[in-house]
Amino acid sequence: MTQQRGEQEIRAVLAKVWLDSQPRILERLTKLEQISANLRAGVLDEKCREDALEAAHKLSGALGMFGLSMASSCAAEIESLLAQVPLPESVALTPLLARLRGLLENTETPHTADLENHGF
Amino acid sequence: MDIPVGKTLLVIDDDRDIREVAKASLELVGGFTVLTAESGPSGVAVAQQATPDAIILDLMMPEMGGQETLAQLKRDPGTACIPVIMLTAKVHAAKQHLVDRGNASGILLKPFDPMLLPRQVCEILGWSTSEKDEATGDSAAG
Repeated sequence: MTQQRGEQEIRAVLAKVWLDSQPRILERLTKLEQISANLRAGVLDEKCREDALEAAHKLSGALGMFGLSMASSCAAEIESLLAQVPLPESVALTPLLARLRGLLENTETPHTADLENHGF
Repeated sequence: MDIPVGKTLLVIDDDRDIREVAKASLELVGGFTVLTAESGPSGVAVAQQATPDAIILDLMMPEMGGQETLAQLKRDPGTACIPVIMLTAKVHAAKQHLVDRGNASGILLKPFDPMLLPRQVCEILGWSTSEKDEATGDSAAG
């Protein structure tokens, strides 16, 4: 069946893209942690904030696409906080970043949600 | 550029992971032919050259964002009639005034489910899956 073949192939593609994306995901997380440290030190400028927003935005989109809904929601929450004016205190970001890192470090492979129920 | 037979979609997104998974989803699950572009300007150029059946356009891109890209596509008579679906995160979808709904055909939320994306595209564009299947035959995985 075309659909079953498509599901198998999309699983394989997701697994490959997931592996390829690991350096970028960790780089974005590290960037957010650095920016959180800058915020704590009171040296966060608008460019840094824009970079952080972009990193959180991309993390949220990519992680959700891989089926990592909790990590995606965590990144989206970080993005929402960074979009606030004035910027939140760093204490609001730190636990979210720690949680996100923990979620990512405990994830070995992506999982799409219940593929069998997604008839097309 | 060779134009494949059947429905062709253009995905414009600056995130490589999103492009790769969207392309795989739309090709392998949906049976579409998919072109990709990594920025607004390159997306406009591909659209002008290939005239896809529809465009999926990321709203938040650096330099030339989705809104500006959409405006350029609609200004050009060669691409103005191509339906455009805006791809945006949930956090931004709440601010729907960000999307020029008069020019966009609809909104797809990120993160998307790769198994559901083709059906969502069809629903937004009013394409029946059978219509698409007839256009693509049994070559969905090829």
